[in-house]
Amino acid sequence: MLAVFRRELRAYFASPIGFVFVGFFILIAGVFFAISNLLSGNPSFTGVLSSLTFIFLFLVPILTMRLISEETRQKTDQLLITSPLSITGIVLGKYLAAVGVFVITLLITVLFPVIMSFFSLLGLGWWEILGGYIGFLLLGCAFISIGLFFSSLTDNQLIAATMTFAALLLIWILDFVAQAVPTDPVLGLVFLALIGAGLVALVFFSTRNNAVAFVTFVLAAAIVVLLFVFSRSLFTGLIAKILSWFSLVKRYGDFGLGILSLSPIVYYISFSGAFVFLTIRMIEKRRWV
Amino acid sequence: MIQVENVTKKYGQRMAVDRLNFTVNRGEILGFLGPNGAGKSTTMNIITGYLSATEGSVKLDGHDILEEPQAVKKQIGYMPELPPLYMDMTVRDYLSFVCDIKGVPRSRRKDSMEKSMEMLKISDVRGRLIKNLSKGYKQRVGIAQALMGTPPVLILDEPTIGLDPQQIIETRNLIRDLGREHTIILSSHILPEVQAVCSRVLIINRGKIVASDTPQNLSRGMTADNRLSIRVAGAEAEALAVARRVPQVVRAESVGSREHGTIDIMVEARKDQDVRRDVFTAFAKADLPLLQMKSMDLTLEEIFLNLITEEREVS
Repeated sequence: MLAVFRRELRAYFASPIGFVFVGFFILIAGVFFAISNLLSGNPSFTGVLSSLTFIFLFLVPILTMRLISEETRQKTDQLLITSPLSITGIVLGKYLAAVGVFVITLLITVLFPVIMSFFSLLGLGWWEILGGYIGFLLLGCAFISIGLFFSSLTDNQLIAATMTFAALLLIWILDFVAQAVPTDPVLGLVFLALIGAGLVALVFFSTRNNAVAFVTFVLAAAIVVLLFVFSRSLFTGLIAKILSWFSLVKRYGDFGLGILSLSPIVYYISFSGAFVFLTIRMIEKRRWV
Repeated sequence: MIQVENVTKKYGQRMAVDRLNFTVNRGEILGFLGPNGAGKSTTMNIITGYLSATEGSVKLDGHDILEEPQAVKKQIGYMPELPPLYMDMTVRDYLSFVCDIKGVPRSRRKDSMEKSMEMLKISDVRGRLIKNLSKGYKQRVGIAQALMGTPPVLILDEPTIGLDPQQIIETRNLIRDLGREHTIILSSHILPEVQAVCSRVLIINRGKIVASDTPQNLSRGMTADNRLSIRVAGAEAEALAVARRVPQVVRAESVGSREHGTIDIMVEARKDQDVRRDVFTAFAKADLPLLQMKSMDLTLEEIFLNLITEEREVS
């Protein structure tokens, strides 16, 4: 894992991608910092961080597009997969390298609050900023895991970047969409059934085992039916609830205020873990095609 | 050392590899021979664990590649069809990365790198970016990569493709040398190469083994001493008429004129009949000088085509 991590990190800075990411990020962060902190004398740096989150939409696809797609295209995946490394190790190494570039960037932006401290501009002090950074880092990690996953689906960097951008944009507008979807319980049931069907299909195509898929199907159907019979109220506005469950952005709210709470932290980490796991499954599955 | 049992690979409905069975003994150099798309690369990808077989198993010293991937993969050095090179790395960094992922201990790393760079004559480009190397160099870096950590088994998919004639000869010699310490499987669609290097040949066509023998036996079993190529000074019609009058000759055909005033003829006699003396006397009597006569041995190319067409006729 460490070998892949080191190689990948070097590859970022052997091509323009690493520099574009770091440079562009710091440029935008600098502009925001100058306008909202320096020029207007606002003491909240975490506010700058939360208004910066939109930058992920554009920069994460660039950061993650070549992670796996380029290996597939150049056939270097043959070297990695036929080496004694586990696929988990390979994928984790790559993921952590992308996160590493992001961490390097964040470390550079620490200069901004340091500058503020010279002018005694720091509102709640360093702890608040640390909280903001933790949230920002975890949100970034979750987005990067989505990019990693899409990079494993194709051997074309551009397609990977486009799909990642589309997915991130969708997540971005999720809260907005959730406000407008119908709240009827029956529609909630249909929506849940569709999700269940998708889950069963996913299990079937990743295991190619009829028995396992059937058990999943029975379980999923039983849970949906039982829920609908015994707690009908749950289904009112269910679509909105489910959609906002996937909303990464909404959970960032607390961090923007400098509050460090456990549930979004756990959420971001498990979200990233799920997508890293899906990526590993995708690569393992390729051998059976 | 390597047991391939009943390995089958299906892509949808298409059989890429169809129930392959063979074993490779320690110290053997086994050649896969077959046209493009015969299933050579797929078989190699299955042995190295890059692809999984639809059915069947691959074992190395009794360890299954699917059940103990880590242990098995450590024993294999693999050079795929397209050398798996990172274009943005220098040769030295690349080889050192390969050592890293193969878990070559630090103490042996430098030795292993120096030795294989020496063997493949790539020491002079060690500091250059791989993307700037010529095709021949890239190919050799690909082979060097497979040698890292001196694994007991080497699997080389078309190792001499893209090399110039001089390098091809050097690489063949290198493979022969490596064969003393390693068990090697290599694939090729160039027959003389397999003949020159391998101790045993598997001819694969459309996913099946068509023949398996030493290269010598394969060509011995199929020489055709009943076919002659002759060059006669004279007119075509006359020469053909003389040739056809020789007893035991079943066929005589003109193959064109290569030299002014002469004609080349292919003469085929009944099986196991040596008609060289009869042909000579016949032409001497007709006062048509024979300028050249040679028996047409089947080349491995023809054997190969024969096997493949025979199989087509059977199926």
